[in-house]
Amino acid sequence: MILFDGKTYESSEQDRLLTELKDRIPVILSGKQLSPEVVVDAVDILREDLLKGRFDELLTSFPKDVVATYKKQAEALLSKEHLHKKIATELGDTEEYITDPMDGFSQILVKKMPLGVLFHIAAGNMDFLPAYSLAEGLMTGNINILKLPSADNGLSLKLIMQLIEYRPELKDYIYVFDTASTDIQGMRKMAELSNAISVWGSDMAIEAVRGLAPTGVKIIEWGQKLGFCYISRLDEVKDAKEELEGLAKHIATTKQLLCSSCQVIYLDTENPDELRSFAVRFLPLLEKAANENASEEIGVLARDTLISYTQRLKGYLGEEEKQENVLRGRGVSLILSSDSVLELSPMMCNVLIKPLPRAKAGEVLYESRYHLQTAGLICPDEDRGSLADLFTRCGIIRVTKGSDMSAYFPGECHDGEYALSRYVRIVNVEK
Amino acid sequence: MKLRRKLFSSKYPYDCTKSELFLGACRENFDHLITHCEDYSKICRGLGITSSEDISKVEDIPVIPTMLMKQHDFRAGRYMVMATSSGTSGKMSRVRFEFGALWSALKMSLKVTRYHGIISMRPCRYIVMGYKPHRSNKTAVAKTAYLTTFLAPALSRKFILKHTPDGYKPDFESIVEALKKYEKGKAPVRFMGFPSYTFFLFRILEEKGLSFKLPKGSKIMLGGGWKQFYQEAADKETFYKLAKKTLDIEEENIVEFYGAVEHPILYTSCPAHHFHVPVYSNIVIRDPVSLEPLEKGQTGLVNLISPLCKATPILSIMTDDLGILHDGATCPCGVKSPYLEIIGRVAPDDIKTCAAGAADIIKGVKV
Repeated sequence: MILFDGKTYESSEQDRLLTELKDRIPVILSGKQLSPEVVVDAVDILREDLLKGRFDELLTSFPKDVVATYKKQAEALLSKEHLHKKIATELGDTEEYITDPMDGFSQILVKKMPLGVLFHIAAGNMDFLPAYSLAEGLMTGNINILKLPSADNGLSLKLIMQLIEYRPELKDYIYVFDTASTDIQGMRKMAELSNAISVWGSDMAIEAVRGLAPTGVKIIEWGQKLGFCYISRLDEVKDAKEELEGLAKHIATTKQLLCSSCQVIYLDTENPDELRSFAVRFLPLLEKAANENASEEIGVLARDTLISYTQRLKGYLGEEEKQENVLRGRGVSLILSSDSVLELSPMMCNVLIKPLPRAKAGEVLYESRYHLQTAGLICPDEDRGSLADLFTRCGIIRVTKGSDMSAYFPGECHDGEYALSRYVRIVNVEK
Repeated sequence: MKLRRKLFSSKYPYDCTKSELFLGACRENFDHLITHCEDYSKICRGLGITSSEDISKVEDIPVIPTMLMKQHDFRAGRYMVMATSSGTSGKMSRVRFEFGALWSALKMSLKVTRYHGIISMRPCRYIVMGYKPHRSNKTAVAKTAYLTTFLAPALSRKFILKHTPDGYKPDFESIVEALKKYEKGKAPVRFMGFPSYTFFLFRILEEKGLSFKLPKGSKIMLGGGWKQFYQEAADKETFYKLAKKTLDIEEENIVEFYGAVEHPILYTSCPAHHFHVPVYSNIVIRDPVSLEPLEKGQTGLVNLISPLCKATPILSIMTDDLGILHDGATCPCGVKSPYLEIIGRVAPDDIKTCAAGAADIIKGVKV
């Protein structure tokens, strides 16, 4: 299904519509500019309808507590007040201004303008991400071409259509295609229409996009990141049990699928016996959390089991997971490793446990500098500041509690940048 | 491979008295694989099974998921023929067969099809709801669908998927034309291939208000999996009704096959539409979380076991299918062996990781 000019079309019409879009874009760009207020308004109405239960039917595939969490988040994050705050934080001074006079130079008008046409290639690992990415493009006044991820279940398209229903003037700025990822010609055509491509995905995905993008197009990368939890002096941590339970819950609920999810638990030690005794203590907590958060759907359970069993066998083939020391529980495992490398775990509640004495942290993090994002901390309160300083100096973007590694914090940046500021350019006009 | 020969020479394809021979043939196969396939032996060592003496029941045999076979090419010595899975999700397993495996498979196919009355000397017309064989297509589905057209002498063969410069495309119109012609003739018509396309054909005929009275003895033979059409598959009754309405083919003339390239055993549905387990294989249903064997009647992952092949380690494989093994003693068809009911598939394996939205795009890396 394609969404074009506020109407839906069959996927087979993609080629014709892209050709038509090429003629439309200059007309729209030269004719007017989208005000962020229109978008804020539409999102706010969407929020109200969501809270009234208008979309409950669309959310039946999610577990009930997940729907409740989403609604709670939407109530706060999609409100007019928060959106205005987001725009102010991320774009800074959006009002245009004139530079101070300086002898011998002309004054200029400075203002932020949309990039023009933004092509979003969204990943499917977070619900609503495609719609969210598109909304960010709209708030900055861009024309948006969105390629839906193949795993999308129709929810994104429905929400986007709602926005147009609330504020029909948005239709000129929204073009959604369900292009298959194998349709290189189609994706290339979309890239050729754009000023910038916003791409979410792994290193390989980004490489692929770089390959198809015309020279000169700006590529805005939201690459794959690796998160870890750092545990130091656990015996001296107040409420250590609750902290570990929080970490276990984080692992079980995200199944380690997000960029911010915990892949490795580092212990501030060099002693392998400490690793093992920690694992023995943590295993039942993780097992309990996994059990409480397990999907009830047998197809999902079976798939997760098959994936982790396959990973385990690949380990025996020497292709993945190191098999030195594995503690297994029902549906979970803790893999003890002697090295300190930050790497992707087999996911699905199969966590790596590694030693990382504080003194070596810099060396290890530098090795992973392209993939750093979130560090969860479980340590005595007096250590928090110094560890946060150490990690952020070495490239970490977010430092959180162990339980909050994937939590959203209003006002936070994404991978060290504000998304909105990447979707605009600054123009100068001589007075 | 003395025990394999003995097992595949069993006279009655649903003989329930051969479990000892079956286990023996599996252990014989295991001993061969572990000495001829290094990757298999690495996995077995990892799982703690180092010799056939560690295998006291079929459940003990190391299980290789087809998911792994799609990511890793296992080799175990010389082979004659290679087949690949149809790659529904873009990845394929490669399975190699040596002469002994092919010979055993042939003996099995003859015995099973004869038992089910599928072998016939009466010439008929075939409509293959699958691929037309082409040198660019190595999928087992294409090969087996084609081979099946030799179970009764063929007057003609028509294929619904045609190879075009843009890949395989379904061609329903020419099938409709052919049906108009066949209806007037005397030779029975046999449909063979993907159930999903057959279902679509029925739907198209129904929409167009077309129905045919095909000659007596016409059959619909379904294999190749329901693929992504499981939602439709939920309604088999509708399928049977549509077969009657659009082609005048009775329910008892609809025969289903189940199998996988990684487990090339021919499961053929009985008149009660049950897939009884033949003497050549065993099925273990495993817990979707712990992978422990489950009792009959419980739903879990389908683990298929057969000592058919020695050129690829497919002795015990785990499919992506979810199923139930039922006690066969109660089946009205008279076969006493347990029967498999396929419930569906595990959730799509394009799991949504950060890298997954991505994995989508990876398919197009070569630009």
